[in-house]
Parts: sequence; C-alpha cells; structure tokens
Amino acid sequence: MGEHVEAEAIITRIEHKSRKIESLIKQYKPIEALKTALEGSPPKTKDERCKSANWIVVHRALMAIKAVDLMFSSLDPEYYDILMKYLYRGLATGDRPTCEQCLKIHEKLTQKAGLGCILRALSDTVNTV
Amino acid sequence: MVLSLILSFQVVICRNEAEKCLIETSINSLRISLKVKQADELENILTKKFLRFLSMRAEAFQVLRRKPVQVCPFFGYDISFLITNYHCEEMQKHKLIDFIVQFMEDIDKEISELKLSMNTRGRLVATEFLKQFI
Repeated sequence: MGEHVEAEAIITRIEHKSRKIESLIKQYKPIEALKTALEGSPPKTKDERCKSANWIVVHRALMAIKAVDLMFSSLDPEYYDILMKYLYRGLATGDRPTCEQCLKIHEKLTQKAGLGCILRALSDTVNTV
Repeated sequence: MVLSLILSFQVVICRNEAEKCLIETSINSLRISLKVKQADELENILTKKFLRFLSMRAEAFQVLRRKPVQVCPFFGYDISFLITNYHCEEMQKHKLIDFIVQFMEDIDKEISELKLSMNTRGRLVATEFLKQFI
C-alpha cells in the first residue's frame, strides 16, 4: 500500500519533469533536458510504471539531441552510468530512429567513459531502468 | 524451468527492426544470437540455407552453435555462438571477439555475392530460354 502511494508520487514528479523538459527542448537546450530527465531517476523503485514513465521522458530528451559530438562537453560524469543504462534500454526497443540515436550516443559515451561504464550498466541487476 | 534460474542475464541490442543481437550469460558461458538483415524473400532463403550449411559444420568453428536460438515458435534468431570458459582458457578473448565480428562480416559479403550470382544466373537462363521464342 505504501509502495503504491510512493509510486504515484514518483509518477507525478516525472510528469512535472516532463513539462520542464518539453520547455527546455523548445529552447534548444536538449542537453539540459537530458540532465533533468536523468536526475532523480528512480532506480530504487521496483514499479514498472515508474520506470516506463521515466524512460519515456529520457527517450524524449535523447531524441531531441542533434549534435551528439558536442553533448559530452556539457554533461557531467556522474550521469554517464545512468545514461548508459538508458541507452541499453533504448537499444532493446528495436525502433529504428531510437536505435540509431542510441548507437551514436553509445559510441561517444564509450569513448568518454570507457568499457567500465558498459560493464557497470549491464551487470547492475539491482538498480535497473 | 531450472534453466531460467541458471541463466542470469540477457540483453538485446537492436540496430533496427530487422537486425538484432541477443546476449545471454550464465555462470560459465555466454550465448550470442544474431538476426541478420533479410531484405527480400530471396535473401531470406539464401540466408537460411547458407547459415544452416555453416551450423551443420559447427565443430570446425568450435564456438558456433548447431542450432540458432529459438525464442518462441514464431520468432528465432539466424545464428548462435556459444562461448564457454574452456574457449576463454584456450583462446584469447579479444581474438574471439575479432573472430565473431569478422565471421559476420564475411557472412554478409557471402550472402550478397550469392544473391548477385543467383540473379545473374537467372537472367542468363531466362535469356537463353526465351531466345527460342524470338
């Protein structure tokens, strides 16, 4: 019961985030949008709806990024691991534009963060996205 | 049923709707399954026959699996590799990875060549056959 209430609270928070992200994307600040989407990602929750809701928001931000080469100059390293997890979720979807974008970002992220980032993202089965 | 307790992890990586890769890990091995792009019916048949030819001779490749992984009755992959701890002890990991990448590139090339030669042969045969009606 307590978990259900918590899940609702998380989903409301994600909806707030999604509005903020839409406005950031309109202002041509996709990297800010991505940071907002990745912040407060709910890895501790087991609720699939929260994870899906957050994924939708992160996906929106990811697809809005046009200049993949430049994105890492403004993205802090603390976001790398969580971003990698979302990239693998994107790659599992099979949707062509999503996969293309995720592969482009994955290449650059691996160059920046190294193979360790991939390993941490894939082997962490407790905090999944 | 017991297998699902042993298989610890799997990840699917898709390039697009038609090409994907499934990696399943367990305690001492991992299984890599690949779905190759098949643009038309001809490529479908060529791929199936060619990969079956290779899989039947899986012993020669050591890391190749005799049957590709079948996820459900309607969907399966085209080719599967099984890499065990024994393989990793005998062979170098980066060489194994290079082998798989090279293998798939060669398969792509081979299937394109097969398709091309088949179309050429078909055209020649049809031309010769229809000459008698001119």
